Amino acid sequence: MSSSINWRAVRTRWHVCAGALLVCGGLLLAGRGHAADPAQDLRSVDQDVQALKKQLVDLNRDLFRLEEELLYPASTQVAVFLSLDVGTFFALDSVTLKVDDKEVANYLYTEREVQALHRGGVQKLFLGNLKAGEHELVAFFTGKGPHDRDYRRGTTLTFDKTIGAKYLELRISDRQAALQPEFVVRQWE
Amino acid sequence: MDRFARARRRALFETLLLLAAAVAGLLVFPIVSDASPAAGSTAPDFALKATDGRNLRLSEYRGDVVVLAFWASWCGPCRDTLAQLNALPAAAGDQGPVVLGVNLEGDDARAVSVAQALGLDFPTLLDSRQSVGRLYDVDRLPLTLLLDRDGVVRGAWSQQSVSGEEIARQIEELNL
Repeated sequence: MSSSINWRAVRTRWHVCAGALLVCGGLLLAGRGHAADPAQDLRSVDQDVQALKKQLVDLNRDLFRLEEELLYPASTQVAVFLSLDVGTFFALDSVTLKVDDKEVANYLYTEREVQALHRGGVQKLFLGNLKAGEHELVAFFTGKGPHDRDYRRGTTLTFDKTIGAKYLELRISDRQAALQPEFVVRQWE
Repeated sequence: MDRFARARRRALFETLLLLAAAVAGLLVFPIVSDASPAAGSTAPDFALKATDGRNLRLSEYRGDVVVLAFWASWCGPCRDTLAQLNALPAAAGDQGPVVLGVNLEGDDARAVSVAQALGLDFPTLLDSRQSVGRLYDVDRLPLTLLLDRDGVVRGAWSQQSVSGEEIARQIEELNL
């Protein structure tokens, strides 16, 4: 017969007791909180969910920015946007974009997309990387011109890609004097 | 020594098993990946010109159940499928799916003529450059895809005609 204490068994029992106490305490607190004001609890959960959703949106935005910064660093980034001003003399159907004689975008516009452009929307048509130096951008616009005739026009811009990001805008507007559409490429400063 | 020999045999067996699994995977992959995009994946977005001159974009149908049917005039089962799909929205009522046909043969005039001859009520999109065919990896016709309201592929029928009842049943079963 040995009178030595089995410390391992004591420790295990102590852990079990402590765990049970913690669980009971937690359940009691949760029960009290629940019983206190269920409506407030619901509001609190709803606020937590909203906060979590906001965090998710912020995180998504940050990740998108990070992805763009990594894939298209400012030193090589070139973006081409398209906008429409009035556009009564031209019904846009598609745009083909070439950079240095290589097709980089070919976009077909649906009715809803054209309406969005008419309402002032600006579309990011192309985002890519170009090394510093001189480049040529050619855009072909296809659609219906005055008197519902098939219309295809091209416009060209030679631009100098410097260290910073380069933003170019294709703008379709109306030339009222000639009753014809006008296609302009301009660089954002 | 005996123990080492057993360990060597075991290692050899495991290596052979791994190699066999890799070979089996390589052989099975083309069969499994035949219908692309796979069920459960989001259908790639595209825009094409329809026979009536409108440009249609798939993503603008989010919120609707969409049946996407790839076809060509020389494909007999395609014609059966198109005839079945033509009756589908009318049979299903307001809750019926949107049907979009995608013609892949590159001859727009022929596609228009066949669509008219079949009396198709749903839009026929002209994939003259077969860019959408490549995007969807269509190598066998007909290919019919059922997309849910989020644009996720929930059913695919490749190299076989599919009946309107089967699609309607699938829509009901999946609670789309």
